[in-house]
Amino acid sequence: MWVKLVLLLLFCLMILGAVHFAPPPESEKPSSSARFVHSLRLLTWNIGYAELEDDTRAHDQDLPAIAVVILREDPDAVALQELTGNAQLNILLGLLHGKYRGAVAQQGKGDRFEAVLVKDTGATFIPVALGARYALGASFRPREDMRQVVLLSAHADAFNAAHRRTYTEALIDWAQARAQSSEVFIAGDFNFELKAANETNLYTDDLKHDSESYSHILRYFRDLGRAAGHTAINDRRIDYIFGPATLEQIGRVEVLRDAAVGRMDHWPLLVEVGL
Amino acid sequence: MLTLLKLELEKLLRARSFYLSFVVLIAFVALMLWGFYTYAARKTGGEAVEQFKYTYESKQYFNGLTFALYSLLFSFTLLLPIFVSMSAGSQIAGEARSGTLRMICTRPISRVSLILSKFLVSTFHAGLLLTFFIGFNLVVGLIFVGWGNLELYPGPFNLVDVPGKIMRDDALMRFGYAALSGTWALLVIAALALLCSVVFDSPAQAIVMTIAAYLTLYIVGRVEFFEHLRPYFFTTDMDFWRDVFKPDIPWQSLWHYACICGAYTTGLLLVTVVIFERKDIVT
Repeated sequence: MWVKLVLLLLFCLMILGAVHFAPPPESEKPSSSARFVHSLRLLTWNIGYAELEDDTRAHDQDLPAIAVVILREDPDAVALQELTGNAQLNILLGLLHGKYRGAVAQQGKGDRFEAVLVKDTGATFIPVALGARYALGASFRPREDMRQVVLLSAHADAFNAAHRRTYTEALIDWAQARAQSSEVFIAGDFNFELKAANETNLYTDDLKHDSESYSHILRYFRDLGRAAGHTAINDRRIDYIFGPATLEQIGRVEVLRDAAVGRMDHWPLLVEVGL
Repeated sequence: MLTLLKLELEKLLRARSFYLSFVVLIAFVALMLWGFYTYAARKTGGEAVEQFKYTYESKQYFNGLTFALYSLLFSFTLLLPIFVSMSAGSQIAGEARSGTLRMICTRPISRVSLILSKFLVSTFHAGLLLTFFIGFNLVVGLIFVGWGNLELYPGPFNLVDVPGKIMRDDALMRFGYAALSGTWALLVIAALALLCSVVFDSPAQAIVMTIAAYLTLYIVGRVEFFEHLRPYFFTTDMDFWRDVFKPDIPWQSLWHYACICGAYTTGLLLVTVVIFERKDIVT
């Protein structure tokens, strides 16, 4: 009988131990957005639709809602992905009441474009050729007394991890070359699948390529949105804002999960940093 | 109780399946070594250099500690639970099948002592198997691949969010921790197998049922349809053992999951004792 009592006691102790050592729920964890340092506010958003739709690019009817989010959050610069082209950008700029200037990237092999919107009227836009794809950079000065900032809007291949890796390598080479003269930020949808738990295989080349790509970026840049969690449906964190590795002041970091409209599968990622 | 334990140990050491488990693990390490060698040769030159400009997979990355970690992580999920199930699943059902259970129970020993001694022997086997496997991997890694620091990258194995490194001596200590945490996790399988061994009279049935339950939960836990059920599977909790390989060990989470595994083990053992005490032994 005493053995059964000891086992029961051990069982109860284990349950108590599990409760005692339970990690705090998400809401009780200290938030990185608690400290506010407003020097530069950046937002990235893939405004396209999920794979199941006929046209997975951004839809014109969603543009007013996108403009509302941008005006409400008031970022200094915005990196957008999956626009249909210049016409759509011009509609969006109109909805932003002339508060922003913008440009779309050159067309690569695909049918969708990256874009950058910047508040600074003196901003210059730089096309960035990365193999068969294009990204777009914008060079601007958020305040008179601040260093020049370059924001890149990027969108890596959704279906091929090896292509993502070569794209990332070229992107980082480009960004590194400008890091001496400007504060370089890279924002966009990189489609990295880094959660091995979601893989049915124990080890895949795709996982390794994404791991190599992400690790390569982290050699030179800091992942600013890491604390904010997933940015797309199915708990995927595939949208990133990378900033200079030396950056010390990070304020609000948030995925705006109430912002998506229609059949969008991504949410905007907002990051505030002090330069 | 000590005499009983000694007898059970003797039985274990005389069983062919005990030695078979070590032979299979040695064969697995040989296979891993071959795979690691060919993979490392391709990835530190040849294909990788032609296709990509940058890679972390240098010759320093491919060292004995990385080899041991790969081998351990690959085998722990599917290989080791099979041997633990075999060992624990045949403890009572094996006696029933060979017709010795009734005789043992007529002796002046309590059924609880019998179950506990059988569980302790299964625990010993699980611990020995894992410690041997880790030690053997490290020795093979040292001799055939060479040593260095343990470098970790996001993605593979889901251990880190950012690239990290564990220095060689610390990494060796972590393998020691893994022997303990891994054995603790495997005890859930051992307790389940012992329960099946009491419920079923055939050892094959007990082993198959244990492996089936484990694999079902493991596979279902990997399918996205059931991601909301995942936290309720013991296979998810068992994964805590790997946390000792994180550059900063998350001790709170590790103790939390270790306690959950402990609750599964003691709970299953308690049920096993209750069922076995009331069981009418007719074989």
